[in-house]
Amino acid sequence: MHIIVLIKQVPEMDKVLFDSEKGRVDRKSAGVEVNPFDLNALETAVGIKEKTGAEISVLSMGPSRAEEALKEAVARGADNAYLLNDQQFAGADTIATSASLAAAVETIGDYDLIIAGEMSVDGDTAQVGPQTAEFLNINHAAYVSELISVEEDEIEIKTSLWQANYSKTFTYPLLITVTKDINTPRLPSFKDKMKARKAEVKLLTFEDIKNKVKIDEVGFKGSPTWVDNIVVPEEISRKTKVFTEEEKESAYKKIKELLIEKNLMED
Amino acid sequence: MEIPSLTTMITINIFEKTIRFDVTSNYIGGKIMKKEVINDLIKIVGDKWVDQNPERVLSYSRESTNDNYSLVAPEPIAGSVVVKAADAEDISQILKYANQKKINVIARGAGTALSANTIPAQESIILSLERLNKILELDEENMLLKCEAAVSLGDLNERLKSNDHLYFPLHPGDEGAQVGGMAAMNAGGVRAVKHGIMRNQVLGMEVVLPTGEIVNYGGSEGKLLKNNAGYDLMQLMIGSEGTLGIITQVCLKLYPEPKANGTLIVAFDSREDAFASVPAILKKGIIPMALEYVEKDEIELAAADIGKKWPAQNGKYFLMIMLAEAEEDDLFEIGAQIDQITAEHNAVDMLIAQTSAERKAILDIRSHILPAISDKIIDSPDVTVPRSKLCEYLNILNELEEKYNTRCPVVAHAGDGNLHVIILKEDGSKPDYYESLKKDIYQNAVDIGGTITGEHGVGEMRLEYLKMMYSERELEIMEKIKDAFDPNDILNSGKSIIRK
Amino acid sequence: MAAKNELLILAEYSQDKIHPVVFELLNKGKELADKADLTLSVLILLPEKVDLSELIFHGAEKVYYIEDSAFAYPDEFLYKENILSFLKEHQVDIILTGASNFGRSLAPRIAAGLKTGLTADCTALDIDEEGNLVQIRPAFSEKILAHIKSDTRPQMATIRYQEFKKGSTDKTRQGEIIACQLKRNENPNLKQIKKLSNKEINIAEADIIVAGGSGVKNTEDFKLLKKLADLLGGQLAASRDVVDAGLIAKEYQVGYSGQRVKPKLYFAFGISGAPQHLAGMKEADTIIAVNTDPSAPIFNLADYGIVADLYQIIPEFIEMLKK
Repeated sequence: MHIIVLIKQVPEMDKVLFDSEKGRVDRKSAGVEVNPFDLNALETAVGIKEKTGAEISVLSMGPSRAEEALKEAVARGADNAYLLNDQQFAGADTIATSASLAAAVETIGDYDLIIAGEMSVDGDTAQVGPQTAEFLNINHAAYVSELISVEEDEIEIKTSLWQANYSKTFTYPLLITVTKDINTPRLPSFKDKMKARKAEVKLLTFEDIKNKVKIDEVGFKGSPTWVDNIVVPEEISRKTKVFTEEEKESAYKKIKELLIEKNLMED
Repeated sequence: MEIPSLTTMITINIFEKTIRFDVTSNYIGGKIMKKEVINDLIKIVGDKWVDQNPERVLSYSRESTNDNYSLVAPEPIAGSVVVKAADAEDISQILKYANQKKINVIARGAGTALSANTIPAQESIILSLERLNKILELDEENMLLKCEAAVSLGDLNERLKSNDHLYFPLHPGDEGAQVGGMAAMNAGGVRAVKHGIMRNQVLGMEVVLPTGEIVNYGGSEGKLLKNNAGYDLMQLMIGSEGTLGIITQVCLKLYPEPKANGTLIVAFDSREDAFASVPAILKKGIIPMALEYVEKDEIELAAADIGKKWPAQNGKYFLMIMLAEAEEDDLFEIGAQIDQITAEHNAVDMLIAQTSAERKAILDIRSHILPAISDKIIDSPDVTVPRSKLCEYLNILNELEEKYNTRCPVVAHAGDGNLHVIILKEDGSKPDYYESLKKDIYQNAVDIGGTITGEHGVGEMRLEYLKMMYSERELEIMEKIKDAFDPNDILNSGKSIIRK
Repeated sequence: MAAKNELLILAEYSQDKIHPVVFELLNKGKELADKADLTLSVLILLPEKVDLSELIFHGAEKVYYIEDSAFAYPDEFLYKENILSFLKEHQVDIILTGASNFGRSLAPRIAAGLKTGLTADCTALDIDEEGNLVQIRPAFSEKILAHIKSDTRPQMATIRYQEFKKGSTDKTRQGEIIACQLKRNENPNLKQIKKLSNKEINIAEADIIVAGGSGVKNTEDFKLLKKLADLLGGQLAASRDVVDAGLIAKEYQVGYSGQRVKPKLYFAFGISGAPQHLAGMKEADTIIAVNTDPSAPIFNLADYGIVADLYQIIPEFIEMLKK
């Protein structure tokens, strides 16, 4: 079995600053790390590898320093690492990213299962997984919280949709996006991490995938959405209104109004 | 004063004093604060900030100590009043008043101390500092942060997040701990190996003396790195456990934030191997942020309790080593050295966490050990020995375990030689050998050059053991120092030092 | 006169009902459709015959439906095949759908199938002067609000439940209900699908939280808070001291060492407001605190405070809500 895990390098989110004067996000000050959800995706793959002897490839699109994220994945059990890196891919939104990743997946070759994290902590859209499946024209299951069974020819997963939990059994190929509940990623051993620092990361440029995707479908040109404006929301400033016990009836009335105003109650 | 329920309260009038007993709880009945005192306090801080509600007074009278050491921590005496001062001026007036009326005053922060340092042993004014919660200044030039006493460690760290290169290293486990309390207690905690304990972080402070004067230490701005003028009263104040003055502001040292962080978990099959690695690592000139020792049963319980998983699967005894270096290459070079040293001491596994979430998860699990096992323990003396004697002390502990036929799990700030030896309950209650075992734990530490407490302080729970450490003359000097600051003994009386 | 282009709401029909977010989207959609001169329509995939007139009463001018028993289960592949086929025959300028798990799983496939832009989890929508959809969503841990536009048509957005107000029902409204052609009802790669259980609830996702602190005296009394939470469709939570005291389980804890929450409404009953707790809930939209201590720090943070006993307030408030 061949599993491809999609990895994204993200800034350490609690360190990302917003410069409200210049109106732009300052990612410089933050360190980078593997998107936490992607570690769950990788752990899922490693779990399957331990049971069935699958081969794991990890794939990321990003700047050259995203190699570090891929090496982290190798330390944790991936066999091959691919970095999709080219000026042409810059400025990609989720559609262009997914189109590029799908083309890279087809270039890497035969695969049975693609695993991605539920979403990235910096983009927060949860779109790249399902969109990559669409470009590959395969089935996907999102919000997978458990692998119920994994066989050579089929896989049964648990997912939460429609306010309920469902089990779905698919044949391959399939793409799944996993939630944090699916596992606790194990730490790499220091020795594996040392070794992985020297691991080879195969570089894929636009030239390598050009048979699978058009130039106007990747990067900035392939991105239909753009940020028109950024607004910094006003700091929450609260004016406290305190009611005494004697005034409680008016407090109830106020809270009820609030519930209706906030759309939290049928009026 | 409100009476919560007449059926549970017995009120007795003896002489002119009213004594009330609440027969439904352990809360020990005592005198009521006189009406006149309450009125005078209201005149100082305002009606809203004086609270006599018995339930709330009780909750301000307890510490985490009461939860963690329910069988050995003293129960608070009733009849106290909670006063919430706005600033040093308020506190000054309250202390002047307390001197005049000879009423005990206890400064109260987050209540995360573990030695009954702020549990009232008499009717007291519990002076809550919670309104002093402002961060006053982030001074990047001088690399320091000035704030009021009740700013919590969590608030402080939150504020520093928006600064991309400065951080404050100390982490005593509970992020609710407040900086004033941390200074008063000379807190230590996990990340003290590299930068030291609270004593090394405070550059200046504003203090209200027990006699009511407001003073500044560390120069008028509290920003001095060196100050050799006269006795260092600021250092005396640090660790005085609220007996010499009330700290209202502190100025804390900040450090440039290291770029390459990694937490190593080294697993061993024996305690001896784990402990023997500690001096071996430090001897090489490696200075980690933290060098902690934990054991499998406790760390796994702590992890499960907060819904996490302890990452190591092999081994039963672990060193948790937090490294903070300038470059990633340095991190791995040092890691490789540690790998080699610990391999010589039979380490069975070594893992590395680099992502911030994974490093935080490990620290969170470590910080949660005591709360997680609080229902299983009686006490956890935090003795400290010279680092080179960790193994020797461990052998003593093995003998003690044998002598008392029990198990004493150990959690240790191993890099500081600071151990928390855990005395477990037996069948849910205090074992009959408790006093004797505890005394052995302390005495043996002192005998090999150690101390009875490395960070939690004396409070009320360790008073009787001070004599193991100090001669009559030394204790007398401490008493005279207390008298010099607090002639009427109104500030946290009966805590921290022995009085004749 | 040429027919107007459409603003289409993709409706989720699950657990035997139309997801309530659809009615909120109709209300907002009507405003946007008027502004951009579009026809407001709904597409819904149904496993059985369902009365759809309620959608008309809430403002839909056209309601398209595809009926087949295959739609009894959430199979994104079948849904998207049928929806993409439907969209080939309609001039749609804007597609809005609810950001439920299913919506967030399905909408990206449709956007990719159309090679059009999609903005997830919008909290506000508008039409600019040129008639384009402005999709507004929080980004970077909600530090900023990004205004996003799309170059392609249709412009797509998913919207969280309870962001917009539901409009009123008008039974006099007229509209068309139109059956549409099924394209496909078999997915050869999905061998089996079955419902297991209803979803577990997580306080971090709750819109309303009813939290109790040391003012709640025992485990039994948390039932009183639970009763209010249930009535409001909210979640029960607690501060650290009551969790440490063993009155309630750790998973209910809000604060530094518990969950950080961001509900629309946070009730703090008998919670004094230690920094430990405030850190976990201070970003709630609106905070209502009830405490007997007028000097409790929670009153400095709360929008509304009542200085009174929770044991008196909660039952009275429940009675008042029931009226």
